[in-house]
Amino acid sequence: MKSLLATLALTTALTLPGLAMARPVTLTTTMNNYGGDGAYLALYVTDAAGAYAGSLWMAGGKSKYYEHLSDWYRATAGDTAQINGITGASVGAGRTLEITLDLADTLFDAGYTLHIDAAVEDMRDSPNEVTVPLTTDGAGTPVTGRRYVADFTYDM
Amino acid sequence: MVRPDWTHHTNGDTTMKKTLILLAATTALSAAIAAPTWSAVRTSDSPVQLFAAILEFGQDAMPLILASGDDDDDREYRNGSRSEDDDDDRERKYRSGSRRDDDDDDDECDGDDQDDDDCGGSARNAAPAGTTPPPQNGLFGNGTPPVVQMN
Repeated sequence: MKSLLATLALTTALTLPGLAMARPVTLTTTMNNYGGDGAYLALYVTDAAGAYAGSLWMAGGKSKYYEHLSDWYRATAGDTAQINGITGASVGAGRTLEITLDLADTLFDAGYTLHIDAAVEDMRDSPNEVTVPLTTDGAGTPVTGRRYVADFTYDM
Repeated sequence: MVRPDWTHHTNGDTTMKKTLILLAATTALSAAIAAPTWSAVRTSDSPVQLFAAILEFGQDAMPLILASGDDDDDREYRNGSRSEDDDDDRERKYRSGSRRDDDDDDDECDGDDQDDDDCGGSARNAAPAGTTPPPQNGLFGNGTPPVVQMN
């Protein structure tokens, strides 16, 4: 009985910090009515030095178009391993994409910046469509995009 | 008088028999896996062609049939003018902000689309969300799959 209790205590002690180190974060992207086909969006993060830290989401499934998400493509060389398991459909004009991800706490208030690159068929590419620092204070505050994104919000 | 331990001998024989059966089974399994592989990597003048010959049997009898509707009379109307683009799959064609006439026969496999999976190129599309866990890039927590909603 004593060993069982000790095991339970140990597993709980090991599990709890893991749960506390991440939280569900909802990223909401609303598109403008730009009058074109579905937009490809790359959501990725850079660190305090501006270096690429990783991707959070890719809206659009065909890798041959990723070169038009030019900043993301430059940072990753179009490596699809960066977006395995975090890739979905492109986002149509006027529609809202809502993604809930389990993100590490260390991303917030540590100088990380979330970027969105956007590209639409037969329309201008828009690298850095949205740029927003990841802070706990900034949660819930809409940020306006440059061309295709009406607004972007992250909620914790 | 000391009696011989017949029980022990019987158990030993059973164990030996089981071991032998297990060894025979694993050897047979290895042989079954290795033989086709060996045949597949053979050189053309290798005498070991038995399994490869079996695998290739009938290939001549099954000609490759390409089923494609791309040469149908599908036309897209853009900007008030008709561009004769003979692919009908509504794929996006990003071309650096300028519209482009798709008057070639099959632009899906031309030089600038070398990474197109439709062409059987080497590049692969990423695994969709939900099919694999998010990448281990330090940004995600415990591998909980993303929840996506499009409104």
